[in-house]
Amino acid sequence: MTIPTTGLTVPADSGQETAGTTPQLRASVLRTLLRDPVAAACLAYIVLVLMMAAFAPLIVKVSGWDPYEFDQSAIDANMGGIPLGGFSGSHWLGVEPGTGRDIFARIVYGARASMLIAISATVLTTLLGVVFGLLAGYFGGRTDMVISRVMEFLMAFPALIFMIAVLSALPADDRQYLLVVVISVFGWPYLARIVRGQTMSLKQREFVEAAVASGASRSTVVFTEILPNLRSTILVMVTLAVPGYIGTEAGLSFLGVGVVPPTPSWGQMIASSVNWYSVVPLYFVVPGTFLALLVLSFMVLGDRVRSVVDPKGRS
Amino acid sequence: MTRYVVNRLAGMVLVLFLVCLFTYMVFFLLSPDPAVQICGKNCTPERIDQIRANLGLDEPFVTQFLNFLRGLFIGREYEGGINCPAPCLGYSFQTSQVVTDMIVQRLPVTAVVAVGAAVLWLLMGVVGGLISAVQEGKFADRFIAGLTLGGMSVPNYVLALALQYVFVVWLQWLPFPQAVPFADDPVQWFLNFILPWSVLAIGYASSYTRLTRANVIDTLDENFVRTARAKGLRPDLVWRRHALRPALTPIVTIAGMDFAGLLGGALITETVFGINGVGKLAADSITKNDQPVIMAVTLLAAFFVVVGNMVVDLLYSAIDPRVRVGVSA
Amino acid sequence: MAVGSLMMASVLAVSACSGSSSSASGTSGSGSTQTPATGGTVQVLQAADFSYLDPTRGWDGGVNAFYRLVYRTLVTKAANNAEDPNAMVPDLAESLGKVSDDGLSWTYTLKKGVKFDTGAEITSKDVKFGIERSWDPQIGIGSPYLKQLIDAPDDYQGPYKSGALDTIETPDDSTIVFHLKEAYPEFDAALSMPSGTPFPEGTGEGDEFISDIVASGPYDLEKYTPGSLIELKRNPEWDASTDDVRKAYPDAWKFSIGLEGATIDERLIAGQGTDINAIAGTVQTATIARLQTPQLKARTTKAASTCLTYMGLNTTKKPLTDVKVRQAISYAIDKSAVLNATGGTQFATVASTIIPSTVSGHTDFDLYPSQNNAGDVDKAKQLLTEAGYADGFGMTLDIRPIPAVQRQAEAIQQSLKKVGIDLKLNVIDTSTYYETIGTPSQQHDAAITGWCPDWNSSASTFIPPLFDGRNITEKGNNNLAQLDDDAVNAAIDKAKAMTDIDAANQAWGALDEQIMKLAPIVPLNVENRIYLPGENVAGMITPSGDYDYTIMGLKDPSKG
Repeated sequence: MTIPTTGLTVPADSGQETAGTTPQLRASVLRTLLRDPVAAACLAYIVLVLMMAAFAPLIVKVSGWDPYEFDQSAIDANMGGIPLGGFSGSHWLGVEPGTGRDIFARIVYGARASMLIAISATVLTTLLGVVFGLLAGYFGGRTDMVISRVMEFLMAFPALIFMIAVLSALPADDRQYLLVVVISVFGWPYLARIVRGQTMSLKQREFVEAAVASGASRSTVVFTEILPNLRSTILVMVTLAVPGYIGTEAGLSFLGVGVVPPTPSWGQMIASSVNWYSVVPLYFVVPGTFLALLVLSFMVLGDRVRSVVDPKGRS
Repeated sequence: MTRYVVNRLAGMVLVLFLVCLFTYMVFFLLSPDPAVQICGKNCTPERIDQIRANLGLDEPFVTQFLNFLRGLFIGREYEGGINCPAPCLGYSFQTSQVVTDMIVQRLPVTAVVAVGAAVLWLLMGVVGGLISAVQEGKFADRFIAGLTLGGMSVPNYVLALALQYVFVVWLQWLPFPQAVPFADDPVQWFLNFILPWSVLAIGYASSYTRLTRANVIDTLDENFVRTARAKGLRPDLVWRRHALRPALTPIVTIAGMDFAGLLGGALITETVFGINGVGKLAADSITKNDQPVIMAVTLLAAFFVVVGNMVVDLLYSAIDPRVRVGVSA
Repeated sequence: MAVGSLMMASVLAVSACSGSSSSASGTSGSGSTQTPATGGTVQVLQAADFSYLDPTRGWDGGVNAFYRLVYRTLVTKAANNAEDPNAMVPDLAESLGKVSDDGLSWTYTLKKGVKFDTGAEITSKDVKFGIERSWDPQIGIGSPYLKQLIDAPDDYQGPYKSGALDTIETPDDSTIVFHLKEAYPEFDAALSMPSGTPFPEGTGEGDEFISDIVASGPYDLEKYTPGSLIELKRNPEWDASTDDVRKAYPDAWKFSIGLEGATIDERLIAGQGTDINAIAGTVQTATIARLQTPQLKARTTKAASTCLTYMGLNTTKKPLTDVKVRQAISYAIDKSAVLNATGGTQFATVASTIIPSTVSGHTDFDLYPSQNNAGDVDKAKQLLTEAGYADGFGMTLDIRPIPAVQRQAEAIQQSLKKVGIDLKLNVIDTSTYYETIGTPSQQHDAAITGWCPDWNSSASTFIPPLFDGRNITEKGNNNLAQLDDDAVNAAIDKAKAMTDIDAANQAWGALDEQIMKLAPIVPLNVENRIYLPGENVAGMITPSGDYDYTIMGLKDPSKG
């Protein structure tokens, strides 16, 4: 598994000319998207998951079980702890084998872990990627060389192995912060590379020349002329990065170096379900589906955003 | 051109050196007592002392690192008559083996996985992308788009388990993955790799289809293609002589980089299917915290990626005259 | 760790598991206990690799069974189908040891006609050399009994560094005399350990035996791919007339390593091709539900193991220094929830004593009873109030990242919450786990771990390592509770000195209850081993949970 390359790798020679759009971008994009039923559905699902994550404690009060509570009556002690039933009135999505914990509650809390980590990682990556990409692209020369070498170095690293090794070597407290940091450290070069490319081509445009000629300072040029024109690129990259990070966190949890149990996480639930998938497929299908749908929604949304923002499909 | 090559080589060496340094630093400074961790479970205080002496863990970091580098180029002798010839990637105290041997033993298997998967995903990706591009907007395009989105959304471990259940347990079309040497039974050997190839290929093929599609559409829009058509050239010649190469070259080059990445071992796939390759070695070593092995595998993977990168860049500049050598991408 | 969730590892033992029990409680599928026919290849499927091929280095449950196929020792455990499967019987020696009056010298006479796979005769010098290897700091990391019991200079470092050891005498090629530090009635059992394997003098230095075997047993190494495959073939120099224990029915053995636990179970259930000749370790908890059809039930073998899973309480950390607090915890824990987390009633039995029922010396008692083993919250709260902790307190539990252990820990967490104790889980990577909990300065308040006896003929390898206060070491400590009670120590000495094994076992049983009054550990459960051998496998006799390769084989060697 490679850390997000899909959608963020660009053929070496692709033209990066068209990035000019108006600052009224976001409002019109949203409106266009909402008119598209598929995009609207994706957005709705994403919002649903976000709501689940945000209001988790309230939701489980309604469903009746918290994610840590064992329910011995729902599993068969004589059959290795296999759940006694699937969906039921008491446990809406069934229970976890061996412990009897409510799957619905664990999905809801798992959404928290996934979204928190993915969003934090995205924010951090975007920040780093945009800043370094801008610096490298605009100032060129030695700055560019140094930053590009660093990017190359980070991209050459077998990120997955390294992340697992580092995460398992360090103690397990504050694992969430560590996950965010580690994912971001290896993630920002991909965004920075694209921002850099775009910045370099924007640099040549007339309005930038005009701004420089009129005596604007370099930072003004960067932040008021170039950055706004990158908004669409950044938007597209963000919507494509989030699913990648969700997948990464799930993968790391699957391998056992993600969030620390008993905190639930979708990836970790899938990992536990590995042994049970032939007898209790529900335990495997439920988190798997939630995860796949979330990633799918972000990707489709990302595609739609890109087609609205950049109809020629060049970036 | 030569200057470019030399520059790139120098850059490559620098990156590799930095990766080496960084990895070494992180692994040895991160853990509180590397000697104890290297020693493993059945440990005695005497063995710990021996490891400490052997690896010179009392010496300053720089000396240790230089020893490691020296071992890489010349070879190294550990106490107790253990000879580690160049390139000496370290010695695993937990399993009492020279790490280079451990990796060399498993590299062929990983290579088979990588090659098979690469062939499969390129075929699927290029064909799928071409069809999509040519049929842009029509049903075939949408259908393939749906498939690729599906392929990219499902995490590969989920896919691996699902495929295994369907094809091995339920339909019984394929045998359980086992280590069958090629010499013993070529057919079984081949069948064993089908699932791992498919799992890897599906993941990559999805993004390659999209990439191919985008590139082909772009290329077909280009002026030179329009000119060729306007000149009255037959469609298939338009393809073969003008459109295909610029459309597909970026794909092949990126495939080269992804392939190089796979040579470092497809960790999850190998573990799920019990394939005794470099990826599984990495996973097992991380479980046991066998640091010399973890470090060696990390370096090896980085090495492949960096070299792959450079080879790809060079090939690219040779094939595609539009790229000006010297402008970093 | 990490991928531990994919790697099935059901061995919680810190030390070697061997042997059988006096009170057999296993049920065997009707098909697999018959006497095997000669010939064929037995397939063994396993997830984890053997630690070492070198018996002086290796020391864990799985590899010990393997060693019996290729190596022989002076004395060994009887076969699983013997009348007393626990007993020690002579193997390379003509009879059990003759002990001197002061108990310090043990003499053995070697059988004639026993050879290595090289054709060379096995002499007493080879036995002496093999045992001397235990003192080598690099090689002797396996079973420590022989080097702890046999007298030797403090600076002796094994034959490669320090030469021969005078305290092991070899007056002629078939006589060997051991001089011990102090009397030890069970020295025969100590010699049955893998570190007692003979080797030709001068061999095995450095890493020679990492990938090579000098076989004294019925099989020899044919092919070895580390992490993947071990193939054994017959050793032509092994003479069946000199061996009362091993039957060596199959012509060859093939160990496939590195397979995933769930896949192994699938293969055994499916039984395709050579898998009908396959055996593996205990099945996954998920598989038990699928073993309910008559054919599969007929093949399934279930037996209680000799290993205890327990939670050790560090008696040096407040408030666990107060026995009432420890007793309160003992009452509070819902052992049935822990049992379910382990896999339910099929996979384990709740334990209330230190010595499992399968080990000689076991007595039945429960000092902290509760309804259905669900825990007695009221009694626990009462004891806590008496101790002055009516509002509860916080404590830390060390565990490994294995899913079953994590679930057990979570069950305990839930139980203790009910009495106001806030249990924090500290997950330690498997590779450093034993090091951490074995170092008193790094230990936390509690830890979940397991213990198996090295031999089951008595409890002498169970109680002393865990509860003798004089055994507390700075590193590699097994007395997790750090219990140092003079009465207990004295009772241990008395039991160890008894030459009558039955009387000794009675004493151990009484001591078990005496120690449990101090509640230094909470025994959780004794795991069952549930096996699903292939339908063509025979000789699956498991009186104490482990099967014996030496009596196993195939029903019909031509199949598969």
